[in-house]
Amino acid sequence: MDSLTRLNDIHQNHILLTKATVSFDDRFTLSEIDWTITPEQHWVITGPNGAGKSALAAALAGIGDIQSGSIQGIPNNVEIVSFEAQAELIAQELKKDDADIMDVISLGTPVSEMIFDHCQDTELAQTLVEKFGLSTLVDRAFRKLSTGETRKVMLIRALANKPELLILDEPFDGLDVDTLAMLQAHLASLIDTVPMVMVLNRFDEMPDFITHVAYLDKDRPEKKRGDKQSGDKGRLTLTVDRQDNAAFNELYQLLHLKTTDLSVPEADPTNKLPALDPSQPLVKLTQATIQYGDTVIVDKLDWTIERGQHWQLSGPNGSGKTCVLSLITGDHPQCYTNDIFVFGFQRGNGESIWQIKQFIGYVSTNLQWEYRVSTSCKNVIISGFYDSIGMYTKSTDSQKKIADQWLKLLGMQDRADQPFNKLSYGDQRLLLIARAMVKHPPLLILDEPCLGLDDINRQLVLALIEKICQGSETTVLYVNHHAEDQISGIEHYLALKKNN
Amino acid sequence: MANYFNTLPLREQLAQLAQCRFMHTAEFADGVEALKGKKMVVIGCGAQGLNQGLNLRDSGLDVSYALRPEAIEQKRQSWKNASENGFVVGTYEELIPTADVVLNLTPDKQHTSVVNTVMPLMKEGACLSYSHGFNIVEEGMKVRDDLTVIMVAPKCPGSEVRAEYVRGFGVPTLIAVHEDNDPKGEGLALAKAYAVGTGGHKAGVLMSSFIAEVKSDLMGEQTILCGMLQTGSLLCFDKMVEEGIDPGYASRLIQYGWETVTEALKYGGVTNMLDRLSNPAKIKAFDLSEELKEIMRPLYNKHQDDIMSGHFSQTMMEDWANDDANLLKWRAETAETNFEKTPAGDVEITEQEFFDNGILMVAMVKAGVELAFETMTAAGIIAESAYYESLHETPLIANTIARKKLYEMNATISDTAEYGCYLYNHACVPLLADFMKGIKSDVIGKGLSLDDNGVDNARLIEVNTALRSHPVEAVGSVLRGYMADMKKIV
Repeated sequence: MDSLTRLNDIHQNHILLTKATVSFDDRFTLSEIDWTITPEQHWVITGPNGAGKSALAAALAGIGDIQSGSIQGIPNNVEIVSFEAQAELIAQELKKDDADIMDVISLGTPVSEMIFDHCQDTELAQTLVEKFGLSTLVDRAFRKLSTGETRKVMLIRALANKPELLILDEPFDGLDVDTLAMLQAHLASLIDTVPMVMVLNRFDEMPDFITHVAYLDKDRPEKKRGDKQSGDKGRLTLTVDRQDNAAFNELYQLLHLKTTDLSVPEADPTNKLPALDPSQPLVKLTQATIQYGDTVIVDKLDWTIERGQHWQLSGPNGSGKTCVLSLITGDHPQCYTNDIFVFGFQRGNGESIWQIKQFIGYVSTNLQWEYRVSTSCKNVIISGFYDSIGMYTKSTDSQKKIADQWLKLLGMQDRADQPFNKLSYGDQRLLLIARAMVKHPPLLILDEPCLGLDDINRQLVLALIEKICQGSETTVLYVNHHAEDQISGIEHYLALKKNN
Repeated sequence: MANYFNTLPLREQLAQLAQCRFMHTAEFADGVEALKGKKMVVIGCGAQGLNQGLNLRDSGLDVSYALRPEAIEQKRQSWKNASENGFVVGTYEELIPTADVVLNLTPDKQHTSVVNTVMPLMKEGACLSYSHGFNIVEEGMKVRDDLTVIMVAPKCPGSEVRAEYVRGFGVPTLIAVHEDNDPKGEGLALAKAYAVGTGGHKAGVLMSSFIAEVKSDLMGEQTILCGMLQTGSLLCFDKMVEEGIDPGYASRLIQYGWETVTEALKYGGVTNMLDRLSNPAKIKAFDLSEELKEIMRPLYNKHQDDIMSGHFSQTMMEDWANDDANLLKWRAETAETNFEKTPAGDVEITEQEFFDNGILMVAMVKAGVELAFETMTAAGIIAESAYYESLHETPLIANTIARKKLYEMNATISDTAEYGCYLYNHACVPLLADFMKGIKSDVIGKGLSLDDNGVDNARLIEVNTALRSHPVEAVGSVLRGYMADMKKIV
């Protein structure tokens, strides 16, 4: 493109990235991005985990340091919804909780304040609160919300601010089916008023109104001796107009993988668990109830999980899925007021939570938020043997060997010693899945495991779960919203309803 | 009630002060066994009370909460905290008589009244646990002969006590047994099991005595920890404004500067904190701190002497009895200081800039840490205790200033610390008046403006040797070594 046309673009409210190299701390660099977004276009950014999809979205919101080149034409009012922004908001709320050096416990900011104090159009916000089904939650503390609910608060804040550019990084992840359809319809109604850029890991979630796709790929040149460790790089390798069928098919091929010949690394033979009585169920909840004040989240639930019975748990956001799981894992304080039998223990009779956790492998979005310690990728996998967040004990040679096999399976051998907290969301997620599986636990709890994974890694993880379901040592408990992410081998279903 | 420390012979006083050792992991092999099946009743459902209770229960122990009848009837926050988390809640009369261990986690000031209420209700041979020894040592609380009295004090705010436990770790914890109240000789076993129950054994446990804990804790908090940081904040801010530096910048440099420079202290002691400076700045900071130490030494001695003699706690309790008149007046005055009223400006200060432009702050921290350590050890407190109550805790207090300046610091620290901080600040500001007259913006606010970073070799070696050979560095490197062994393997 010659300089004259470029000049014209600027005058026409185009967003223009010219050889833009943007760095994010020392962990990631977007390399020489050339990209034009015109006002009537709506883009999806896609590509493998760790290629910089979220980074590119963030760069449009003014995050990151521009090292060279330029980014022009970004409007003043930009809204971004992303896991990073969500995690940041939650971290701020938790920080308020630290006020307890005064020995008082803070109650946190109510949802209404989080929403209405931060948006221009309160009327629209009110409508959205109703549409998203949050009306009954406006007085609740923000940090008491479920993952899906905090995501909805973020979306409402962004939409009600009437942005001139709307950036949505994985907006559909973690939303239940009804909310997803509602959001898609709402976004479709905005296509003439605001350009949208979305990061989507799942190709099948792409709304019809998307006009263009940008494909990013990892750019990892071989390190030379003496090179400073400068983190990974991502490059924009392909932009596709959706009308162009041939190009679109090419892109589709890029995002699919064959998952035959997979094998799950062995368990650690030196790590022996206490034997369980085969005649007893793994888990038995009797009339399980969770409530805060007068609000009932889970109401008199009976649920028995027998060994070898693989279960799928479903239900809309806020129906208490995570609460029920945390009764089993021992993370919910009300597990002491319920009739819960797990792995041979009737809860509340002198057992410790570590005696419970040794039988469980667990992955969830909450875990990923809590996993905020600086440790290496390999140690994150090994910490699954100890059920800890971070490592506080020296690992054994056999544990290290198994962790190496997992890293290889995930294609992450070269990052064994890199700090976990500098990886992309999707790469972190892969490692946490390996952490959950590493000890071949009697019960493997996967709470929406595929959130944040690109299509190829999602297929890999689903294939791994199927393999595990075929074996006899692990019982799988799987939570997911996506009808197409079914696991063959799961034959038991529990659907939770919302209690309000 | 008479001051307990003063009733002891010198030999016994010295023996008690000299207690403090880092316990070996193997000493916790019995886990929570000593508390298994026993009834633990917590009094005080604030952040420490609630979070310690959650940990103990998750370790398989039986925990419930005793509250005042009003708190239960009116469903106050303490009642909600305990009951929403699924704990049994009851009145003192209902729960205390059943308790094998009563955990007193209320503020110091309430201890006398709480213990007097609880003691008659406690069953024969039960255990009373404290998290601070003031009530026993300074107020001379006499606990019934049949009761065992222990102390378990996690050295972190309640939210961290919980967060570290959930990760599979814990926070450093101090334990002690009150020798006059250990009729069955089971105090140590109970204290160790309690520390295991909160996860403390994974992060490191110090075995101390009630007396060593109180005398070193009081000294540390009123001098280096709170007093020095408060006094330094006010003096440095006023000096910068006087020197024409933008007040917003000055406010930010101080509010976040203490936290940044003491972070370096946490990792590698005073030596590392000064190593963060350029060579000329390091020598400057060293000289300033030597001068400060000479001026302030009599003040540190006075604080330590008053703590040892009981004069400090006596005057403070008089003020308590007088509805905190002195303290509240001073607290109000603090809120009116220029530093407190000037919000941190919207300017970016890089991590290194806090050191380069805060040479005087570095010098004040060094002087305060070393003086507090020297004064404590000279008074018979063992080096380990002196280290923890001076250098080790400084970053924690600096962190409270970073959050909301001095008011927050004073609101969050204990009653005893705030009263001590008041006394220190009152004396130290006039004491440093002449010294401050000679201070210019090169050491606070702007940094040295030198064309050349050259220094004299001999002088640099002299300064480095003095830094590295100070006794607080020797004990510090050993203790930090222990902690690092136990802490995260990165």
